[in-house]
Amino acid sequence: MSTEGRILGIGPTDNTSDQRTPRERLRLIPAAARESFVPVVPARFRASPHEWDMTRTAPDRPRAQGVPIEVTGTVRTQSGAPVRHALLEVWSANHFGRYRHIEDQSGLELDDNHLGMGRVFTDADGAYRFWAISPGAYLARPDIGRWRPKHIHLSVSGGASRLITQMYFPDEPNNAADPMAILMGDAFSRNVGKPRDVGGADVEEAYDFDIVVGGRNATFFE
Amino acid sequence: MSPDAKNALPATNEDTCGPYFPIYFREPALEDLTRVDAGVVGQASGTPIVLRGRVLDRHGDLAHGAILELWQANAKGVYRTPAHGDDADIDPWFDGFGRLRTASGAYEFRTIMPGAAAGRAPNITVTIFSDGISRIVTQLFFEGQGANATDPVLLAVGDDAPRLIARHDGRTANGAEVYLFDIVMAGDGETPFFDDLES
Repeated sequence: MSTEGRILGIGPTDNTSDQRTPRERLRLIPAAARESFVPVVPARFRASPHEWDMTRTAPDRPRAQGVPIEVTGTVRTQSGAPVRHALLEVWSANHFGRYRHIEDQSGLELDDNHLGMGRVFTDADGAYRFWAISPGAYLARPDIGRWRPKHIHLSVSGGASRLITQMYFPDEPNNAADPMAILMGDAFSRNVGKPRDVGGADVEEAYDFDIVVGGRNATFFE
Repeated sequence: MSPDAKNALPATNEDTCGPYFPIYFREPALEDLTRVDAGVVGQASGTPIVLRGRVLDRHGDLAHGAILELWQANAKGVYRTPAHGDDADIDPWFDGFGRLRTASGAYEFRTIMPGAAAGRAPNITVTIFSDGISRIVTQLFFEGQGANATDPVLLAVGDDAPRLIARHDGRTANGAEVYLFDIVMAGDGETPFFDDLES
């Protein structure tokens, strides 16, 4: 354990990051209080059985526009233990870069066959799978021409493991200028999905994205 | 096993949740921890409280779209963790985990007053996700608790301790004690945040 907490980085060209990132060095948690800082998410998750397929809004609806993809992977702690029966909340923009969210005022095209939100669970081995439409990149800062690269948001909740992250796509032109990618530095590659053969799946592209939940919280009760 | 050996795999980077965390994922039972699901008989033990406040950015503006997660002990001071799963004082109707997304930046949870664990003052751990940041964490306390004077977390933050203490603001018509707690994410009056990766 180090003797100092971190100073959090502010994402370059990201106004919200400037407005909301704490400026003070994070405080260390006293040992006597450390366990109280380990939230354990109760396993009372809800989801509809069709939510794993986000290429359509329901099994009897047509496919959304764009490239259907499969994403598979495992969720583990840093010790390698699978995070079993965890909740993955997944959300992403449609083919045109628009979220079906009441606060997305971008004016980009909506697709009536695309919801872009779904929940799946890891199995007893920590493995997960979902289908999605490959999301469009979108212009996040029109004033300076900065784009957000294609990405899929993932939120992991399972026992003492809690992580919100994003899966990026390899070799995208906008990856290098993304504020959060810049903060990650060389470790950005961990957040990029690895292309693989589609196999028999009814999709056009497939990616592996293995997730490792970091920090002492995730392994606290192992 | 040494901590290094236990943390051998490189961790996926935490990343911002962005502005569009789906409201679709909302779970009302996680915003009111005093009750279970509609129509189900069952009641958490303890004193009902309303915890409300604002999440503010460094300009004093409301931080719209923030996600807040609570983690607390039950009325007897016991957390529902793998370490305490068989404790006789576990409350079958209380998990101690809450979550909401605030569109405006103002928030309100209903829960029960946490009991004091050994050596601690009653507290609630608060995790915040929002656009522009990854996860940040703090812990709030309650005005008027004698144990605040000796709590290790409040002692550790020294002169900043008042920024972690929720103010008591009377009682609702339903008998819930109201506590107010504003979170200042950055700048003047910044709330003390804690590093659970380096601690």
